Amino acid sequence: MSFLEQIGRPFVLWAEDAGALTLQFGAALWRIPKALPILGNRRRWGATLEQVLAIGTRALPMACTMSLCIGFVLALQGAAELRRFGGVNYVVNLVAVAFIRELGALVTAIAVSGRSASAISAEVGTMVVTEEMDALRVMGLNPVDFTLAPRYLGALIAVPCLTILSTISGIFAAYVFLSLSIDMSFRIYSRAVFEAILARDVWLTLIKSVVFATIIVHVGYLEGLRVSGGPDAVGRATTTAVVKSTFLVIVADLAATWFFYMMGWSAAG
Amino acid sequence: MKNANAQFDPIIRMREVTVSYGSRRVLDSVSLDVQRGEILVLLGGSGSGKTTLLKQVLGLMKPNTGSIVVNGVDITSCGPSELAAVRRHIGVAFQAAALFNSMSVQENVALPLQELTKLADSTISLITWIKLWMVGLAEAAHLYPSELSGGMRKRAAIARAIALDPQILVFDEPSAGLDPIVAAGLDELIIFLNDILGITILVVTHHLESAFRIADRIAMLHQGHLIAVDEKERFAGTTHPRIRQFLDRKPDAVGSGEQGFMTAYLKEFQT
Repeated sequence: MSFLEQIGRPFVLWAEDAGALTLQFGAALWRIPKALPILGNRRRWGATLEQVLAIGTRALPMACTMSLCIGFVLALQGAAELRRFGGVNYVVNLVAVAFIRELGALVTAIAVSGRSASAISAEVGTMVVTEEMDALRVMGLNPVDFTLAPRYLGALIAVPCLTILSTISGIFAAYVFLSLSIDMSFRIYSRAVFEAILARDVWLTLIKSVVFATIIVHVGYLEGLRVSGGPDAVGRATTTAVVKSTFLVIVADLAATWFFYMMGWSAAG
Repeated sequence: MKNANAQFDPIIRMREVTVSYGSRRVLDSVSLDVQRGEILVLLGGSGSGKTTLLKQVLGLMKPNTGSIVVNGVDITSCGPSELAAVRRHIGVAFQAAALFNSMSVQENVALPLQELTKLADSTISLITWIKLWMVGLAEAAHLYPSELSGGMRKRAAIARAIALDPQILVFDEPSAGLDPIVAAGLDELIIFLNDILGITILVVTHHLESAFRIADRIAMLHQGHLIAVDEKERFAGTTHPRIRQFLDRKPDAVGSGEQGFMTAYLKEFQT
């Protein structure tokens, strides 16, 4: 391979990914109404609920445990610094703001990416290998209706819920630390938390979690579709799916935070 | 031939179909007619292009050049809705059965009926039962694909393929991975469906015995070329060297041909 080819190749692959993801995203949006309750097909809504449960239960323990640990670590590290200024109780603000604006959504997305991006790519990849996708197509059915739309809608419901739960666990970890170290009561703690957070922050973080859910499902699905050949390709696809979706989630987090900052939505009060 | 008119009424008409992956030609200007009501068996070794040809007929891949007319519609140039209408009349039994693993056998068979017709649920369950009974799986209706044996899975796949009463039924390697008794049972089922329902059947296989048992006509693909299409009696008596080699199960001679391992090895030594 020539030098120029080596430089150019990643760009071509990136462009290919971006194009495929955009097309797939469009197809999913187009078909999602069919998976909605009442408006759509009741079997698709049933499949969507299954996906909500699958995505939720797969990632819930991991997301909450990670948030508990990170919340506790953040409180520990914050307290060590803030103690020098006599402001240990500001640990509440530090942890609450960090989790509501940033860590809750990000930690959840990383957990979901590890659990569900891999699961989705493996399921879809297996369907490709066993010709189930072809079977749907030759029956004149659209595979997007059966495989992508329920998973995407399911993730759009499950990931924001998970984000809320994992944010609560992160903030709760800081309470555990503070009650152990300076004997803070839960009433004072919760009042301080509610003073520190803004409703706008909650909305912005939920928007972020929807973006993350989109990335995770679509990257997982695309890598699954790209499986060709035998079962060993499925294994490779799951690895690629997790690596790509985690990476893209963090990049998208930067982009979203930067955008909110430029819009002046990050200023407190 | 089942009737005299069949000769002039091809239900699938492929003309000069060429498919290449990069520089490799998988199908090289293949022209083939499948007559209405017949059983055509497409023979070929591994890598002969028979799976590719099947995907062309089903519209899963488009050829680089050439035309494929199924039921009067050119599927290489028609739109997605026309293609869906053509596929409505084609049933496919895939090599690995391709049953949906999250659904029971009954649900698998009912799926095309639920999705593509407006029939009432009670009618659908009756039709489902009839189709399962026809393939001999009525008592396995509530089992899941993972609980079925290889032969039962293929039968379930056939039940699903005939759910919408197709005019064409396509089989990809029906006897692959089955013991001789089960495979023979499947051959009888294929003949039964052709006899009773008058479905045109296209079978892709490399299994000789089953080919000669079920076929009206046999076509043979070799390295992307269609080297013979004939009625099975005449096909069996052919003198074409490649076909004879296939029929007599003779291996390629070691070291022969330009890709021969020994030739390449020796050349390496001489230089």
